[in-house]
Amino acid sequence: MVRALGRLGRYAWSGWAGLTGLCCLAAAWQAGHEAYGSFILPAPLDTARALAALAASPDFLRTAAETTGRALAGFALAALGGSLIGVLAGYSYAAIRAVKPILTVILGVPPIAWIVLALIWFGSGGGTAIATVLIAALPIAFAGAVEGVATRDRSLEAMARAFGAGPLRRFRSVVLPHLVSHLFPAWTTTLGTAFKVAVMAELLSNAGGIGGALAVARANLDVADAMAWVVLVVGLLLAFEYGVLHPVREELERWRAAGVPWGVKR
Amino acid sequence: MKLALERVGHAFLGRTVLDDVSLALDAHETVAIVGPSGCGKTTLLAIAAGLFDPLSGRVRRAYARHAAVFQEPRLLPWRTARENIGYGLEVRGVRRRERHAIAGRLAEAVALAPEDLDKFPVELSGGMRQRVAFARALAIDPEVVFFDEPFTALDVGLRRALQDLVIGSARERGYAALFVTHDLLEAVRVAHRVIVMAHRGGRLAGMRAVAEVPGARDERTIWQTAEAWRTGDPLFAHVFDVEGRA
Ligand SMILES: Nc1ncnc2c1ncn2[C@@H]1O[C@H](COP(=O)(O)OP(=O)(O)O)[C@@H](O)[C@H]1O
Ligand SMILES: [Mg+2]
Repeated sequence: MVRALGRLGRYAWSGWAGLTGLCCLAAAWQAGHEAYGSFILPAPLDTARALAALAASPDFLRTAAETTGRALAGFALAALGGSLIGVLAGYSYAAIRAVKPILTVILGVPPIAWIVLALIWFGSGGGTAIATVLIAALPIAFAGAVEGVATRDRSLEAMARAFGAGPLRRFRSVVLPHLVSHLFPAWTTTLGTAFKVAVMAELLSNAGGIGGALAVARANLDVADAMAWVVLVVGLLLAFEYGVLHPVREELERWRAAGVPWGVKR
Repeated sequence: MKLALERVGHAFLGRTVLDDVSLALDAHETVAIVGPSGCGKTTLLAIAAGLFDPLSGRVRRAYARHAAVFQEPRLLPWRTARENIGYGLEVRGVRRRERHAIAGRLAEAVALAPEDLDKFPVELSGGMRQRVAFARALAIDPEVVFFDEPFTALDVGLRRALQDLVIGSARERGYAALFVTHDLLEAVRVAHRVIVMAHRGGRLAGMRAVAEVPGARDERTIWQTAEAWRTGDPLFAHVFDVEGRA
């Protein structure tokens, strides 16, 4: 328990480096603002002020929650569904070969086309956003899971079999821990796609949420507000990625960190 | 009789690897299998251990538990040494507490330091990893243990220490063992008898019994026996004229 807290502390400490990177980005933004003026690119501080003003409005929480809910619902469905099908397919070379071109086709269709199709199928509303997120993000999770299962260590599986482990135990003790290192990068990408596509779908389908708010800001030519909403989406994504996904992964992959020499530890 | 292979044959992609192999392993007996690399030793062991079924012939087992030690340690990298040692016990449904207690006792038996038990495999040396793999095999109190060139990757001193560990534990715990090796000296040291595999065709070429029991032989006799077989016995000639391929 104490050691787990220690690891959490180290993880939080490593956040400083990430913060430095974000500050560099903000500095570049400020430079862009000074070069092109407020109308093209509002200053970071102005944007922060606009965001604070938005946050004070009564609808703010509902708007943010709407988009977050849709993105996370789509992410959960895509990550679970994609990983599950991917694991099953990973055990069979025939299935991998059959499914791969289908995925290429799905990934090749631009998300915007899915939005149009989803609009026709589901009408304008939350369903369209979730369905688009699901279809745009699922292949990523699927590919990660297939890769993970296909690259499992067969000699470890033979070892497990020699000690009498059945298929389910072999999966849990040998394949799953290896799979994690393939699933997490895929899930990170899936999550990013989920937020991007959710906002895009909301904007185009007039379904409220942050996408809807962006549409309003555009109609009013309110650049500061538009920037503020963008910053909010990115902030939400960062919060879920670094607040949930990464700590979980860190905890599951302690054995990897154990092999890293002192001083290189993150 | 603990284990018997009866007229076992196997082929990979149409290429014969084992042909009409019959052998029996008695209780408390260690049988070494030597042969040039690629002659089918690992395949023979895998079939004996039930990792896959032979294309022809059959394997009869008269025991409840077997364990295996492979050429590579094959430890689960995401588990500590303690949890790796307990793997076979976990498969058999032994509770965590008891697994850890057994792992602690076995660590001592294979000369692992207690503080190494909490390390992950990446943090252990090659010799320590192989000790963990050996402890994992002993943990389930096996009646038969399969060794597949377990100490090939280790230096001479370590190899000697681990061979003594095998001899001692086999006598103490009374398990029977099938010990594949490339090293005739090792075979003569650990086994009651040595089976030689033919260079090609997947057949057994013959068998030699070693005088006295493992552990009771002195180093000179062991060395002389191995050297006599290597240089004077036609049965072993083919094993070593391809030595360079090991
Ligand atoms: N899974 C496999 N598929 C195809 N060929 C194999 C497989 N495993 C082993 N072989 C072949 O069978 C022969 C015997 O292999 P093996 O039993 O590993 O030999 P040894 O352990 O004596 O060195 C080798 O020629 C090897 O290439
Ligand atoms: Mg081999």
